[in-house]
Amino acid sequence: MDRDSRVYTVVLGLNLCDHSSMRPTALIVDDHAAFRASAKTLLQDEGFQVVGEAEDGRSGLELARALDPDLVLLDVALPDLSGLDVAERLAGGHSKVVLVSSRRPGDFGVRFREAPVLGFISKDNLSAETLEQVLGGSA
Amino acid sequence: MRILRYSLLAGGIALGIAAYKVQMDNLHVTLIRSVGLPWNLTQAHAMTVGPFTTSARSWAIVSGAWLFLVAGLVAWSRRPSNRLGPLMAAAGIALLLRQLRYSHDAFLFTVFFVVGELSYWVVAHAVFAYPSGRITDRLERGLIKVGYTVTFLFTIAILLLYDGSRPLRFFDPTPRDSLISVGGSGDAAITMQKAFVIVVWGVLAVAAIVLLIRKLVLATPRARRILAPLLLAAITVGLRAVFESIFTFAERPSSVLYDYLFWWQISAFIALPLALLAGFLRARLARASVGDLVLELERTPPQGIRDALRRALDDPTLDVLFWLPERNGFVDAAGRSAELPDHGNRTVTRLQHEGEPLAALVHDPSLLEEPKLVNAAGAAASLALENARLHAETRAQLEQVRESRVRIVATADEERRRIERDIHDGAQQRLVALAVQLRSAQRRLQDPEVDSLLAATVKELQVAVEELRELARGVHPAILTEDGLAAALESLVSRIPFPVDLDAAEGRLPAQVEATAYFVACEALANVVKHARASTATVRTVRRNGLLVVEVEDDGIGGAVAGNGSGLRGLADRVEALGGRLHVESPAEGGTRIVGEIPCAS
Repeated sequence: MDRDSRVYTVVLGLNLCDHSSMRPTALIVDDHAAFRASAKTLLQDEGFQVVGEAEDGRSGLELARALDPDLVLLDVALPDLSGLDVAERLAGGHSKVVLVSSRRPGDFGVRFREAPVLGFISKDNLSAETLEQVLGGSA
Repeated sequence: MRILRYSLLAGGIALGIAAYKVQMDNLHVTLIRSVGLPWNLTQAHAMTVGPFTTSARSWAIVSGAWLFLVAGLVAWSRRPSNRLGPLMAAAGIALLLRQLRYSHDAFLFTVFFVVGELSYWVVAHAVFAYPSGRITDRLERGLIKVGYTVTFLFTIAILLLYDGSRPLRFFDPTPRDSLISVGGSGDAAITMQKAFVIVVWGVLAVAAIVLLIRKLVLATPRARRILAPLLLAAITVGLRAVFESIFTFAERPSSVLYDYLFWWQISAFIALPLALLAGFLRARLARASVGDLVLELERTPPQGIRDALRRALDDPTLDVLFWLPERNGFVDAAGRSAELPDHGNRTVTRLQHEGEPLAALVHDPSLLEEPKLVNAAGAAASLALENARLHAETRAQLEQVRESRVRIVATADEERRRIERDIHDGAQQRLVALAVQLRSAQRRLQDPEVDSLLAATVKELQVAVEELRELARGVHPAILTEDGLAAALESLVSRIPFPVDLDAAEGRLPAQVEATAYFVACEALANVVKHARASTATVRTVRRNGLLVVEVEDDGIGGAVAGNGSGLRGLADRVEALGGRLHVESPAEGGTRIVGEIPCAS
């Protein structure tokens, strides 16, 4: 089934059952592999354990529900659901959602401004500093 | 054939006089005999204004029959191939012969008692066969067959049973002799006559009325107008028969009422052949209007030819389609492709000019009854139709150009969207990934010298990303596709370096309309920024009368011109491709107002 194939395209993080590690967990949802790889390195350097990656909205949503990560780094433009749809469905849960995009905030409409997320980081601005700024020390 | 028709006319006149004489003889015989018989004169007189005839009535009956004969002969001579004429003439003759049944001669009485009753079915036959001369409907044909057969059998049965001992119904009191009587009794014959009246004048007449109403209801509007007088007269005659059937049981009405009923029936009977003649007169008038058509078309523009043909052929539903050889198909007057209808409600007459297909008239099927008329009108209009065809051809080519312009705009839009996606998903993503990676490297190395080098590289990358972003946005803003025109305009005005008042209609419209309106606003605002020296501007979009109106106004120096090579000219082309208009008002020192009106199906 199509739905299953999407789930299997996800690369699961290692050591899901490693309870000795108390590092915060993160999930990256983005359809560009190069960006996922860079973001993963950055998040790991910042002390996150990247427990999963997804390349579209539906599998991102399923993984977020299955893994319940502390942080979801979520691209706005995804091939199936929009990142805003995913964020709305995850609202109220444990995971903190940070939206990323290579576009500017002004390139999005009112739904973006009202999205139930912790914050937004422009992809070319993604760094340890901007991440910490958005997370506000909560990570 | 002409000799036959004149003979019938002469015979009919003679028959009419004979019929009148038979009736009058009866009247005299009745009056004279009544003196010596148990009836007194008053009773006899009451009968003469009752079921029996008077001189005036007799003339009315004969005149009605003569009218049938004359109308039939006229129709016959006008259209020898149409069976309706002979049928009407036969009805006239049969109605005249019917009167001979009142004769006291045993032979005449026997023969014309049968023929007389059949005459009404010949009339019904003619009415149902109008105007083609043939009854095409199965039910109608069935009714006429049953009518002839049942009437024939009943009248034979009555004559077989009639022994001359009592007067028959509807006859004067003098008994007749039936040549085929097998004995029986006067009562039996009169009972049989009552049954005949109930079945034929009651049941079958009601069936005929129902079928006449059905014919009227099912007819096309044009056919209904032509048929209505005839069918209404026929229904009136039918109703009179039904009343007669009811009186068989009810008390006989007063002689005054009976007199009214008689004149009611005879008026309708006279109206029948007149309605038929009117139908013919109508066709002649229509042919005269074809003559007018020739004159009228000389001063009719190509787009008026359809209406001229509608008037000439008296068919307000008529349409003209033109044959375009290079398309191998038909187009309407506006040049749009059109299919010939293939259902029963519309009929097509194809017209040719010098052996080549020219046009097709799509019209009411009732016009098929007058093929000569349609062809005459087509021939009269052929030159004008040829002109109109060329006109339609030009319109068709224009329509093709317009459609191709729309396609070009659509293709260009699609291409812009694709380029925007390619930039966003390709180079831009690689560059942002690179920037993130370099930052990670920068953090891991912790080397001040490398650090500043990497920081500068990341900065450079960010500039490149920003440039790509601007490029992609200019090609086709993603927000327009994803969130619509209002959101895209909001994003657009937020990047303008002075205050812009935005009032944008919410709701999605077709992608082409949204994109066109967006680029109108985008180009107009770019001009304001570059040239207008304005301090403020307004952008408004509103949906009005099936149009999306986009309006950009500034308080700058004015003087904008939509000349060749300017962005405004390109915008105007784009708006016009969608069937819209772009207005530019830009008086010197008076600000600039650009209004795009784009049709949007709402």
